[in-house]
Amino acid sequence: MKFRSQRVAYLFFATSLALFVLQIIFGFIMGFAHMGYDVLHEIIPFNAARTSHINLLVLWLLSGFMGAAYYIVPEEADRKLYSEKLAVLQWAALVIVGVIALIGFQFGWWEGRKFLEIPRPLDYLVVIDVLLFIFNIGMTALRSERFTTTGSVLLLGLTAAALLYLPGMITFESQVIDSYFRWWVVHLWVEGVWELIMGGIMAYLLIKLTGIDREVIEKWLYIIVGFTFLSGILGTGHHYYYIGAPEYWLIVGGVFSALEPLAFLGMALYAVTMARRGGMRHPNRIALFWTVGCGVMSFVGAGFLGFAHTLPQVNLWTHGTLITAMHGHMAFWGAYVMLVLGMISYAMPQMTGRKLFDGWVPEWAFWTSNVGMIGMTGAFAVAGIAQVYMERKIGMDFLAVQEAIEVHFAGLILAACLLTLGVLMFVWNFIQYGVPSDEAIRDS
Amino acid sequence: MLSKSQARLFFIGGTIFFSTIFILLTVDTVANIDPRQHTENLTKSVIHGKQIWEAENCMGCHTILGEGAYYAPELTKVVDRRGKEWISVFLRDPEAMFPGQRRMVKYDFSDQDIEDVIAFLAWIGEIDTNGFPPEPDLMPATTITSVAATSASEPPAYFNNVCVACHAFQGNGGNVGPALDSVGQRYTRNELDLWLADPPSVKPGTAMPNLNLSDATRTELVEWLLTLK
Ligand code: HEC
Ligand code: HEC
Ligand code: HEM
Ligand code: HEM
Ligand SMILES: [Fe+2]
Repeated sequence: MKFRSQRVAYLFFATSLALFVLQIIFGFIMGFAHMGYDVLHEIIPFNAARTSHINLLVLWLLSGFMGAAYYIVPEEADRKLYSEKLAVLQWAALVIVGVIALIGFQFGWWEGRKFLEIPRPLDYLVVIDVLLFIFNIGMTALRSERFTTTGSVLLLGLTAAALLYLPGMITFESQVIDSYFRWWVVHLWVEGVWELIMGGIMAYLLIKLTGIDREVIEKWLYIIVGFTFLSGILGTGHHYYYIGAPEYWLIVGGVFSALEPLAFLGMALYAVTMARRGGMRHPNRIALFWTVGCGVMSFVGAGFLGFAHTLPQVNLWTHGTLITAMHGHMAFWGAYVMLVLGMISYAMPQMTGRKLFDGWVPEWAFWTSNVGMIGMTGAFAVAGIAQVYMERKIGMDFLAVQEAIEVHFAGLILAACLLTLGVLMFVWNFIQYGVPSDEAIRDS
Repeated sequence: MLSKSQARLFFIGGTIFFSTIFILLTVDTVANIDPRQHTENLTKSVIHGKQIWEAENCMGCHTILGEGAYYAPELTKVVDRRGKEWISVFLRDPEAMFPGQRRMVKYDFSDQDIEDVIAFLAWIGEIDTNGFPPEPDLMPATTITSVAATSASEPPAYFNNVCVACHAFQGNGGNVGPALDSVGQRYTRNELDLWLADPPSVKPGTAMPNLNLSDATRTELVEWLLTLK
């Protein structure tokens, strides 16, 4: 760690991991409900569990991105953070909004629009909070002599993500238009601007961990994020096939979303090539594992499994089934969860000065959680394919089909236990690192 | 090979170009949406129905237009599938219709609320969705051969709207309750009348709900059931 003020990142990382564990608990509630054990129905009905599960996911990933930015931007700008106090304030506000939202969900205070369930009054607080954040890192960048490409791409991604939150806050009377603009947030986030954030953080980690020349890494960064937008913007059309939007979206969405995996393939090749070229010289091998793993698994989850149901001929049958859940889990895991965990793995030894990356705990955390997630994806896939055939192709009754596929949710839960074990090991490692210390500044 | 500044140009140029096309297509979509979604039918009742839909987060269990959660049935065509009457009975007490099944939340809706939710669902069902949800295109594993019971007269409308959800008649319908093809052999007019008036009082704990039938509907149903020999 170069500047003392980078240590605020710790608060965000700790928050991320705490919310991640909570997210998983809600996941189990839903897994059991699907298996026929909806025992918490009276207290936490399925819709409350689901809303909590996916909003916690988004919230903790955003918290992780913010922590990453507070850590990376000062270093890329080569000056201390504009205001550490403001960052702490912004963190506290984020936590308060998050906690209120989570409690509100349990009492039915929500908007009922998937992924955008945070009620309107809290939306305004989120916007203010994000503006504070952007202001803080923006000023850090502006006050510096030079600001790198990596830093700029990260900052651009974060700013664009904040702007794209706004279309989700407009009220529409028509469900069709409502849904149309809901995707401006959801799709243009995960398949657009969040990929800039991903590209930025990954470039930073690769520069630090492989020692390869910045110019080379940053050139490829531009090419990859160029591909992201080339395909991902019009690729939004893959959500417009069957919601009442005009027919031309079948072609536009089909062609451009079919190109989206190229950006993820680029990301995977880029991570693997840089890691091999740079050799595994950096002592923090586990951070490199997560970084390269992020490139590879995002290609599997987003690129490959996304492609599997993105063509309109296929999507007609799989739209809104467990196939979507299969893809959603692996894509979020590969692209964003592994990214944030990679950043945490890299930053913790730097911030605390303790080098706890060598033992078996972090390594097993990596493998166990990944094997668990692959198993979960497999369980969702089998359940999803069975559902599509029985319900959509043959026309069996919904509930009869769900009963027939209950057994795959037992598989899901088993795999989820592995994943959880891995995540808990990661958290344990995080706790062992302790809090940032001033000695760490001298160290590096 | 590209230089870094060329790569940057590719990124910035591509982004501006494709964002512009996307915005133009969005303008076109919004401008041409009226005939596809029948904006003229977007009444106050439909809009209120949508508000209830969001306030109760029905999307947290169901999908609509294929979006939402995968825990409960897809509802885009539910009005076609079940009919308004069935849905209004169902929404008053979801569990009664599907005893022992996966559970929906029981809401305290007023009659007006129920009417508006159904209006919303009916409006959704009219949207031109480019063919979603698709018709099943594989033959059902078992084709139901209808029992040759041609002697029976056409069932009353209420039977087709509500009772078939649980009971089969001539091979079509639900299997929550027994098939009713020969129920007239087993019961007298009086027994059937008592049963339909309030099943749980006849047989405590039965899965058949009290449907609060009007006297006229009940009589019509009983008379028809008696013809099923
Ligand atoms: C929610 C599902 C459900 C609905 C809706 C329903 N029933 Fe039933 N019904 C049942 C069940 C379950 C039984 C078996 C009751 C028992 O034995 O406990 C039953 C039993 C019966 C019986 C006795 C059948 C026998 O062979 O013993 C008749 C007659 C009957 N229902 C008529 C009707 C009519 C007419 C309607 C529509 C007004 C109707 N039911 C609606 C679930 C339903
Ligand atoms: C906790 C999850 C949950 C929530 C929330 C929920 N439902 Fe349901 N719904 C179900 C389940 C499960 C079924 C399947 C039938 C059953 O087992 O009750 C169902 C069935 C239905 C059906 C009948 C569908 C069919 O094809 O048979 C309709 C209509 C319906 N729900 C409407 C709604 C509306 C409107 C709302 C919001 C006000 C809502 N549901 C909220 C779980 C839910
Ligand atoms: C990291 C990137 C990605 C993430 C996190 C992600 C996540 C998700 C999630 C959560 C959904 C469900 C959304 C909802 O119904 O509200 C979804 C849907 C979808 N995704 Fe992705 N995705 C990613 C990339 C991709 C890519 C690259 C493709 C195409 C090649 C793709 C194709 C699809 C399609 C077609 C759907 C719609 C499924 C349906 O019709 O139900 N995704 N994605
Ligand atoms: C213990 C582990 C987990 C279990 C048992 C679990 C289970 C579930 C279930 C049952 C659903 C709802 C599907 C439905 O609507 O019926 C769901 C949704 C979702 N979960 Fe998880 N989950 C777990 C962990 C995770 C993790 C780690 C992530 C992030 C990578 C994640 C991301 C998501 C997403 C994005 C959705 C929405 C998917 C969609 O709408 O298509 N979950 N989860
Ligand atoms: Fe998408």
